[in-house]
Amino acid sequence: MTELSQIDLRSLATGHKRTWDAFVTAASPLINAVVRRALSTYRLSEDDVMDAAQDVFVRLCANDFRLLKTYDPTRAALSTWLAVVSRSAAVDFARRRRQATAPIDEVPEAALAVEDRHVEKLKIPDGLLTERQTLILKCLYDEERDVAEVAQLLKIDAQTVRSTHHKALLRLREHFKGEPP
Amino acid sequence: MSTERISLDDKALWRSLATDQPVAPVAVSDMDFAAWLEGALPEAEAARIDAAVTADPALRQAALDLADILGKPLPAAPARMAVRAQALVGAVERPVRKGWLASLLPDFGQGLGLQRGALAATAVVVAAVGFMMGGGISKQYQEAVYASSQSSSSTEIRPLGRDTTGELTDLFSDAT
Repeated sequence: MTELSQIDLRSLATGHKRTWDAFVTAASPLINAVVRRALSTYRLSEDDVMDAAQDVFVRLCANDFRLLKTYDPTRAALSTWLAVVSRSAAVDFARRRRQATAPIDEVPEAALAVEDRHVEKLKIPDGLLTERQTLILKCLYDEERDVAEVAQLLKIDAQTVRSTHHKALLRLREHFKGEPP
Repeated sequence: MSTERISLDDKALWRSLATDQPVAPVAVSDMDFAAWLEGALPEAEAARIDAAVTADPALRQAALDLADILGKPLPAAPARMAVRAQALVGAVERPVRKGWLASLLPDFGQGLGLQRGALAATAVVVAAVGFMMGGGISKQYQEAVYASSQSSSSTEIRPLGRDTTGELTDLFSDAT
């Protein structure tokens, strides 16, 4: 079976039937996985999943393959770009169908917490943390992800995640050391 | 007070801070997001995407989901998913320009009417050429038969009958 990386993109963008068929065969597992994950929080049927996946393929070949022609192979692998496009299409599809619902066990604790409006939270000054440090803290604490998941997301070592986390907390502690609670 | 705050564990410290400040959404293109997911962006450009992902919980969720999916072996898709998708391009495939001779040949992708027309035209041409060739051969054949009959008429023995009687009558009438 042809791999996605082996697809002739020029031929694909001209609508060559055999190339398209090979592309569909190679891309279906990825699009299937991404669409299912994106729709997992929506109460949609198997037919809806099929339709959402078909919607991705329609987007790719619509208007003389306009979307497909925006892909730049020098910037990212076709599989990564295709996953991003598939997720966007699936979310749009779901929004057109139904409102999102999620089992309460799968919702991070932070999202369910009722905020005490009487507690004045301290604002982190601009520039105190880098964007990367803030993102790592958000993933670890707000999303309740483990270090390995964050490392996988950012394509860095787990040790780098721990180190960045540690440095960020040191900065926060140092800055808020004299602040009232 | 400050001592108490420092003694809080890391998570509690983070929760005590206002980390969800409203930020204007930053547009991130699919291509930029894909490049960021691969860790292929320069530091400055990556920081822009980092900020967008930090500020937008939906984008953050998307990033975490996609990183997870792309890092694992994928299960096979249902067969009908590929069948439906493959049919999309078969129906809208653009016609390929062909030479005039090739255009006369049957093309299964351009409909039955054109195919039948091309076949009928081919049949007419073949029939016309065949008729012309057949006529030429027939003329030669007639000439050959005529020459053969001329050379063999003197030695031909014809049976007696009405024709012979008529010839004798003509002979005698000429003599008189």
